[in-house]
Amino acid sequence: MVTGAGQGIGRATALRLAAEGATVAVNGREPAGKIDEVVEACGGVPAIADVSDPVAVEGMIAAVEGSAGPIGVLVANAAYMSMGPFLEQNPDDWWRQIETNLSGTFYLIRSVLPQMRRLGGGRIVIVSSEWGVTGWPNATAYAASKAGLISLGKTLGRELAPEGIITNVIAPGVTDTPQLEQDARDADVSMNEIKARYAAEIPAGRIGNPEEIAATVAFLAAGKSAALVGQVLQPNGGSTRSWA
Amino acid sequence: MVNSNSEVGVAVVTGAASGIGAEVSDRLSRTGYRVAGLDLRESDTDFPLTADVSDHQAVHEAVDRVTEELGPVSLLVTVAGYYEMIPVQEITLEAWRRMLGVHLGGTYNACAAVLPGMLEAGGGTIVTVSSELALGGGSEDAHYAAAKGAIIGFTKSLAVEVADRRIRVNCVAPGPTDTPLLEPTSPWRDQGFLETLPLRRLVRPNEVAEAVLFLVEEGTFFCGQILSPNAGAVI
Repeated sequence: MVTGAGQGIGRATALRLAAEGATVAVNGREPAGKIDEVVEACGGVPAIADVSDPVAVEGMIAAVEGSAGPIGVLVANAAYMSMGPFLEQNPDDWWRQIETNLSGTFYLIRSVLPQMRRLGGGRIVIVSSEWGVTGWPNATAYAASKAGLISLGKTLGRELAPEGIITNVIAPGVTDTPQLEQDARDADVSMNEIKARYAAEIPAGRIGNPEEIAATVAFLAAGKSAALVGQVLQPNGGSTRSWA
Repeated sequence: MVNSNSEVGVAVVTGAASGIGAEVSDRLSRTGYRVAGLDLRESDTDFPLTADVSDHQAVHEAVDRVTEELGPVSLLVTVAGYYEMIPVQEITLEAWRRMLGVHLGGTYNACAAVLPGMLEAGGGTIVTVSSELALGGGSEDAHYAAAKGAIIGFTKSLAVEVADRRIRVNCVAPGPTDTPLLEPTSPWRDQGFLETLPLRRLVRPNEVAEAVLFLVEEGTFFCGQILSPNAGAVI
């Protein structure tokens, strides 16, 4: 089960897990051509729900079990971001980010757990963000929601590992996804310019690509990584500090 | 994916004769690397060399021989180390220096020996090995945790220094792992301790090797990071 799988990291993850033999449930907020395309490419099943709606999530998870069997791997990736100066952020935007990114992941895990328990184990991979580790100007709600996911993952790592359900978190750095289009609009520059600006701040000299993050998800979804519990993996090109 | 029959590069693994080092060497061999194992005693690798990693000159000479015999080194994994528990007031100056000399010094010596070749080749990968005790500390582990913690600072700094020259440096910090390093009477093998681990068991050597392999093969956007397969000992 991969949420937010219509584009970017979610899409790359769905394709990667399918290539490794998984039947992938491809989640999107509403029916869309890009979801159909990923479902087709994965040979998977569509799973439509807004993750911030607990009733819809419950129904979606049950439907996936009906069509594809119990869910053994959950990749909680769906996210919403709105940037702006702290005092100019309105409460609705704050809550939409918290409810999609943080509460949405809670709803997903809550709904999926009974299936993992029936399987006798499972893997939960939560996609947070570098900004959840470092914070970021003009991204207060997003960063707070992503930091919340880190604590959620650490706690569930402790709480669920004894029953063979392993939870970890990935906090990717800047990645080449359609989300950068919004950053470019906010900064009023071209896509190429925003990528170059980010790359200049990253020790590796480039931004990440979705396939690299998907490979990290695949590692955490596999049996060989079981000794990683409640950890925060940070594929970010080395950019966890700011340079003067 | 990598064809296990074709050589993908030359790897130097320190501490290759036993435990995690032997497991890493084996895993890299199966992936197609030609592995040169550096250890105090002979390792079961393609090109075993005996050297004390704390001996700067000996490590440089060993790496030179690897380069001559197998070709340029594209991967270094620094596993060599040992473990002992000593109450802090009983750590002798000699024990302190030896601990830092083997772990921090050994890591530095090996990195310094392979870096010129990697810079010349225009790329390479280094994985250092620290410990979960560097992250969480441990009673009677002061000198070990200090040495392993220093490896983390070293790794992060080296990583940002050479990242723009396509050399990726990262670190694996294992938790208590089921190797000969943990004596049968070690408190880390005690059932009461294992019950405190979220995973309820020791880390398996192959799980550490898989973390190393992930950083080598697929963790291509990791730079200066610490991966800690530790059974949940430190979260």
